[in-house]
Amino acid sequence: MGEVELSCLAYAKMYLHASQFPRCSVNGLLLSSSPAGGAVCITDCVPLLHTHLSLAPITQLALTQVDVWCLQTQQRIVGYYQANACVSDSSPTPCALKIAEKIFEQCNNAVLLMIDGEKMFPGGRVPPIVVYERKDGRWALKDKHTIMLRQWEETCSIVNQLLSSGDQGLLVDFDSHLDDITKDWTNQKLNAKILKLVSPANGNV
Amino acid sequence: MSSVSELYDVSWEEMRDKLRKWREENYRNSEQIVDVGEELINEHASKLGDDIWIIYEQVMIAALDCSRDDLAWSCLQELKRQFPDSHRVKRLAGMRLEALERYEDANKLYDSILQDDPTNTAARKRKISILRAQGKSSEAIRELNEYLEQFVGDQEAWHELSELYINEHDYAKAAFCLEELMMTNPHNHLYCEQYAEVKYTQGGLENLELARKYFAQALKLNNRNMRALFGLYMSASHIAASPKVSAKVKKDNVKYAAWATSQISRAYQMAGRGKKENKCSVKAVEEMLESMQITMS
Repeated sequence: MGEVELSCLAYAKMYLHASQFPRCSVNGLLLSSSPAGGAVCITDCVPLLHTHLSLAPITQLALTQVDVWCLQTQQRIVGYYQANACVSDSSPTPCALKIAEKIFEQCNNAVLLMIDGEKMFPGGRVPPIVVYERKDGRWALKDKHTIMLRQWEETCSIVNQLLSSGDQGLLVDFDSHLDDITKDWTNQKLNAKILKLVSPANGNV
Repeated sequence: MSSVSELYDVSWEEMRDKLRKWREENYRNSEQIVDVGEELINEHASKLGDDIWIIYEQVMIAALDCSRDDLAWSCLQELKRQFPDSHRVKRLAGMRLEALERYEDANKLYDSILQDDPTNTAARKRKISILRAQGKSSEAIRELNEYLEQFVGDQEAWHELSELYINEHDYAKAAFCLEELMMTNPHNHLYCEQYAEVKYTQGGLENLELARKYFAQALKLNNRNMRALFGLYMSASHIAASPKVSAKVKKDNVKYAAWATSQISRAYQMAGRGKKENKCSVKAVEEMLESMQITMS
């Protein structure tokens, strides 16, 4: 099918989310601020849960809240990501497939992204992600060549920078927000920090 | 690199007390425990008296959690030297093997403990943890059920079993485990709320009503539990929207949902006071509540 582009911001936050809760399964939604049609540009993500991924109420609540926020900020939900607690198994769980299915109902080139924990380590040269798309009524592995991570080297170094300064602690997922509602699950502060590192003015390119 | 005591301006006694607090409340803040514990051991071992042995144990486990095998090994050596035939120390050695993914060797060690002492619950639980780590959920569930037949009062085990069932989408059995926990811990709002979430997930009118009742119970026990508050709102709204309920039930649930809405709005307003960045979340909640009302009416 079509191309999928993953921005540094989205990748970094997903990675931080998985790093923040290494002993749990985590999941989240992939967002796009680009108009529909053509390649899927994943420009941001919202980390959702790190507990009880398969229980309905909080997932439903989170989906509704993110939906509303997307409307307000001209973004669309274009995919779902998950990292399993058991690192050796990065296959989509029934709950992952269910949520991805729901997203597909609203977005016909939705993607399902599984984070491969075994490939996550400092100095890893390969993006630790496995991407699925909807094909012939099921979720099939996407051709690696249609998945773009622009400025991969830069993204890697930014992620390493964030991890070494312990910034995964700054990330707020929806679960953490429910524990303390003064915390911002849209992660405005962290977004700003990451975008500053990405900007060409940083001299990193 | 500055020491913990320098960075946070704390004395060795405060560090020791912090470790005790984390130990007693069973926190898994392993990186912190390693930072504080390593310094305490290296700089102040002589002052700790007999406390040092339990600190070695605590730091060793935290070190395993952070892949600090060097630190775990040295703690283990100290403990082995002091308690040469201890089952408790043997179990720690087993945990180190688990951390190195040497599961067969770990199992052999635990089996030898159990041969000596068949009632050793710690060794049995480690064997179950190995099954979990290997992704063998059904075996872990089976073993844990067998364990609980013998040790029916083990709260930790009941909770572990409920988690395993939830992961396997076996909600009825997860609910059963949570019922056990609620019976023995009637004041624990988290168990009520988790039970309600499981019931909600199971779906159907009866389960939704149970869910609503237990969300309400959780709120009675802790009126700041946001999950319970949202859960109450959602379950009451779904019941009110169902064509199968009587007019009275519908009216009651509309009232519950309205109450929940006002509490939610109030909570977010208080949270958003004076914080610019929270306007996103507060506004999102207001609109969300509005949109949910439309879809559920």
